[in-house]
Amino acid sequence: MLSLSTRVGLNTSRTALFRPALIRGIKTIPQPPGYIVGTVNDAYIPPKPHKLEGSLHWTSERIVSIGLVPLVLAPFITGTSTVIDSSMSALLLYHCYAGFQACIIDYIPARVYGAYHSYAMYLLTFGTGVAAYGVYEIESKEGGFAGLLSKVWKA
Amino acid sequence: MFRSLLRQQTTVQTGFRGMATAAAQTQRIKKFQVYRWNPDTPEIEPKMKTYEVDLNHCGPMVLDAILKIKNEQDPTLTFRRSCREGICGSCAMNIGGTNTLACLCRIDTDTSKDLKIYPLPHMFVVRDLVPDLTHFYKQYKSIQPYLQRDTLPADGRENLQSIEDRAKLDGLYECILCACCSTSCPSYWWNQQQYLGPAVLMQAYRWLIDSRDEASKIRKEMLQNSMSLYRCHTIMNCARTCPKGLNPGKAIAEIKKQLAFD
Repeated sequence: MLSLSTRVGLNTSRTALFRPALIRGIKTIPQPPGYIVGTVNDAYIPPKPHKLEGSLHWTSERIVSIGLVPLVLAPFITGTSTVIDSSMSALLLYHCYAGFQACIIDYIPARVYGAYHSYAMYLLTFGTGVAAYGVYEIESKEGGFAGLLSKVWKA
Repeated sequence: MFRSLLRQQTTVQTGFRGMATAAAQTQRIKKFQVYRWNPDTPEIEPKMKTYEVDLNHCGPMVLDAILKIKNEQDPTLTFRRSCREGICGSCAMNIGGTNTLACLCRIDTDTSKDLKIYPLPHMFVVRDLVPDLTHFYKQYKSIQPYLQRDTLPADGRENLQSIEDRAKLDGLYECILCACCSTSCPSYWWNQQQYLGPAVLMQAYRWLIDSRDEASKIRKEMLQNSMSLYRCHTIMNCARTCPKGLNPGKAIAEIKKQLAFD
């Protein structure tokens, strides 16, 4: 019975008390009743087409993911080179960036979280920038990821 | 001779038990836990109400059981139903954890387990098992699900289609828009205000590949944003749950393929 009463009626005021302070502090944008914008007979209006967010984004994501496969396998077969290593790192970085971007769009949508969506995107871009600098450092001073990995492997 | 035949029949009826007569049956009581919520009493929380049905006096499908409950035990139980043969899509609900049509879902005859029936998940509930599908239909309307042409048909009468072109629509046109697939999609749960969902996207694809339709450019254009189409992460719950055995996930993949180098 206890499990039943907790499972149904999730949106009661009781559960709100147990939400962590961080989430309680965030103001979300209230959504229209039934998510209905306009009258019930109007067609839903999709977001405006965007050059970078549509098929171009999707295709580049796929090309990068497929391109990563040979680049990750190459050091095991042919040995490392700076070109292979740095291009692998760059593609992996974009792969992670695109993955986190999808997570942000899914879980922190601008529709509900407004400015927080942008903040999350800025944070991701900043983090990617820092990581890119780190990749540059490793490639130029440490002798690439493959070299680093083999050092750690032996240590 | 005629009389003798008649006499034979009477002896059969009295002497033996025919095959169609009922044996003394033990009751097979199955418990159904049904989600109940009444908009007239919003202060009362939604709850699961348990009904007991003897499966010996009930049809084989879940719809038969809930109709029996409504007729004999609780007339306030509310749900949508119409055709009782899986062609209208009205009785879509979450039965035993799976979105399906109540009329196509057999009752599990294992009476030791309760069967739980919920409305379609993550939809606004109108009452009991009735979800609010207004937004779903608005989304369907937005893909313009009708033939659009700039030119008149060649023979001036009808838009002809080759057998091969018609065959492309198989597996797409059968969709009855019951919303089982859309409401089983986690991405649709998170972003249903903007993500069109598998059912609507499959219909978008159905109109994209129709050889008679000439509005492909506009149809593709409206999907070129991050929300409408690309919230599909190939989770594939849609193909697993479809009560008609269709594959919306594949249709979405085909749209992505068409758009890829557009």
